[in-house]
Amino acid sequence: MKPARELKAGCLLGMRRVMIDAGKCNGCMTCVLACAGAHAANDKSIIGGMMEKTPPRIQVLPVKGRAVPLLCLHCEEPACVDACMTGAMRKDPKSGLVSNEGGEQACVGCWMCIMACPYGAVRQHPDKKVALKCDGCPDREVPACAAACPMDALIWGEVDDFAAGRAMKTALALLEGA
Amino acid sequence: MSICRTCHAVDRCPSAHRSTNEMYEYCRSQGIPTIFDRYQSQQPQCGFGMQGICCQLCSHGPCRITHRAERGICGATADTIAARNLLRLAVHGAAAYSHHLEEAIDTLKATALGSTPFRIGDSQKLQEVAMGFGINVAGQSERELALQLADRLLADMHKASREPLTSLSLLAPPSRREVWAKLGVIPGGILSEIRDALTKSMTSINTDPVDLLLTAVRLALATGYLGLMGTITVQDIVLGSPALTESWADLGVIDPEKVNIVAHGHVPFVGTAVIQASRDPEILSWAKEAGAKGINVYGSMCTGQELMQRSAASAGGFAGQLANWIAQEYIIATGAVDLVMMDMNCSIPALSTIAEHFPTRLVSVDKVVRLPGVSEHVDYAPEQVAAQARELIRMAIEAYRRRQNGYRGLGSQGNHHGNGRPAPYLPPYKAKVLAGFGLESISRAFGGSLEPLLAAIADGTIRGVVAVVGCTNNRNGHDTTGLAIMQELIKNNVLVISAGCMSSAAEIESLMDPAAEARCGAGLSRFCREAGIPPVLNFGSCVDIGRIVLAVTRLAALLNVDPSRLPVAVSAPEYLEQKAVADGIFAVAFGLLTHLGPVPPVAGSSLVTRVLTEDIEGLLGGKVLLEQEPKAAAAAMIEHIEAKREALGL
Repeated sequence: MKPARELKAGCLLGMRRVMIDAGKCNGCMTCVLACAGAHAANDKSIIGGMMEKTPPRIQVLPVKGRAVPLLCLHCEEPACVDACMTGAMRKDPKSGLVSNEGGEQACVGCWMCIMACPYGAVRQHPDKKVALKCDGCPDREVPACAAACPMDALIWGEVDDFAAGRAMKTALALLEGA
Repeated sequence: MSICRTCHAVDRCPSAHRSTNEMYEYCRSQGIPTIFDRYQSQQPQCGFGMQGICCQLCSHGPCRITHRAERGICGATADTIAARNLLRLAVHGAAAYSHHLEEAIDTLKATALGSTPFRIGDSQKLQEVAMGFGINVAGQSERELALQLADRLLADMHKASREPLTSLSLLAPPSRREVWAKLGVIPGGILSEIRDALTKSMTSINTDPVDLLLTAVRLALATGYLGLMGTITVQDIVLGSPALTESWADLGVIDPEKVNIVAHGHVPFVGTAVIQASRDPEILSWAKEAGAKGINVYGSMCTGQELMQRSAASAGGFAGQLANWIAQEYIIATGAVDLVMMDMNCSIPALSTIAEHFPTRLVSVDKVVRLPGVSEHVDYAPEQVAAQARELIRMAIEAYRRRQNGYRGLGSQGNHHGNGRPAPYLPPYKAKVLAGFGLESISRAFGGSLEPLLAAIADGTIRGVVAVVGCTNNRNGHDTTGLAIMQELIKNNVLVISAGCMSSAAEIESLMDPAAEARCGAGLSRFCREAGIPPVLNFGSCVDIGRIVLAVTRLAALLNVDPSRLPVAVSAPEYLEQKAVADGIFAVAFGLLTHLGPVPPVAGSSLVTRVLTEDIEGLLGGKVLLEQEPKAAAAAMIEHIEAKREALGL
């Protein structure tokens, strides 16, 4: 565990991430379609992704009759980066995004990252022998999944703001229960 | 959730029936995906669609209602979208029922002219109904009456929407007609009502959710009085009214040594003609030549119920009911079926994909039924059905020969099945059924009157009656919710009558065997034992919901009260398709508490949900109950029954 001070010293406070509010998801899969569209080669729309059959990088899992969206959390100490044999999987020091694409080394499909990721957020590419994961949409202002979510189940925002919102909800519940 | 007793893994079993669970496992072991696998691969399903607040009518759409977008692009609210979607579902149901009725009327005409293999099966009903329609019956031949009645019914179907439906004024209780007239929902001809409902539900024509719901009520009344009651009346006249008869259900009734034909769908004419032809010694000799022990005609879905209900009349020799909607693929997967005749409604596209792995030959027997991968059609024509039946049996015998020679379907070349004659896979279960219930046969069972039943309800031996009807659904486990509700009701001395896929569910789990009295509360148990009837009465197919309505109408008339005051309720615990939507709205309009599961796609509109579950009771006497937990749903219906008893002073 790194001390909190060090966290403050880095660029980590004020960091924006796609936060998951699972209770709000209604399983419409718009995030999945938008993700596939954003990664299409040509037409980067939902239709473009469907036409090109681009694989999505976010999943919506059926759990006890409910739907839960799941994507890479871009960890501060990513197990997938530690496990990667070739160095393809790396965490960008500036953006903090974790990806096996666009670096100097190539992914060889050894699947160590898949074995290492505790969240199951890295998957096998359906057509190529490489690992496939959320790249955080580095070229977009807001990641495609969060921009598309009609239910606010995926929220693009500051990590600590999300915590503040949750804390306020808890505080309210405590007050009402008191 | 499952009531299967095979093992302790109840939570993992997709079906309430042992046979279905075993067939599912068998298909998995063969690498053949079936309905339960496809259900899983569709999860999770879109919440907008489930809640009925996705509109795909115009090219601005799809529009979905969220907290950020409370209106569609045209300005439609969740209430408009949900009500309009519901009406569109009901229209589909009304159309399919009308198609069925028109085929029945054509058959009545052709039968009157002597050009079908059928003979008028219930001439008393013909006389009564003809009289009701104002036909002068004195001195008229059966042929004349049948022709005139057919014309009157056709004219009723084709009336303008401003001309009140004759069938309704003939069959509906006067107190109901008053309620409907006050609301302005007395329908005209069903075809005009379908046209009006489709017109109103186009984009930007009628966007008032309340008027759209009233349109659905009006359409459902036309569906009920023509599509349901008109159809069963004509079918009774042509094929005979149901009479009590013993039969069997479940896959264990299949005899692999025979030429096996399955009548699958909803319309019983081809199935009946094939059963009748299969008894012809010449045709039987074809089967014997092919090495078969004989010819068996089984039922699946509602066609099976129709044949079972009339196996003491026109369908003598019926070999038993195999399964309902969810389990239709497994009939083919037994590998012991030679021909499936698909008539109108409920042939899923997966039938043709599973048939690639098995020797079964698929043939559509109605001009509206077409499936990709099915190239053989013997489209029902009343005047040709005798010859068509012989042709269908010839096709089945050909398939039988191929089956005996080891043919395993198109996908069998060099596959895992290996060479030689493969053994069919037949779960060894079958259940005895006492079938053939209807107003007439119940009266006959009680010595010519309904008095003993009324007395038992009046003195509380039987607390009331619930019709558990309609489809079967995967969402809560195949037949699991329906069976749980039926068992809870009979345990609490509520008599159950059933129709449609729910009848199959009850048959297979022996609830239609008189021995099931042992599973009832003391009062109902005694009543069933004395009358020799099971606690769940088979009223037949889903169109026989009309038969249930007529029975409730008679009950109300005998007690001289409006149907909404009776200690009765309806449950469609696993509703699936659009005909059931029209049926459900009809039941509410008839004044009955109507339990529905799963929740229909209206929950995204608080207005539509409130109207259907609360406000509508003040207007029509009935309302929708959406309790999804089976025990709690049964308890709510029992509570309703007790309240109605108290109000009647019982």
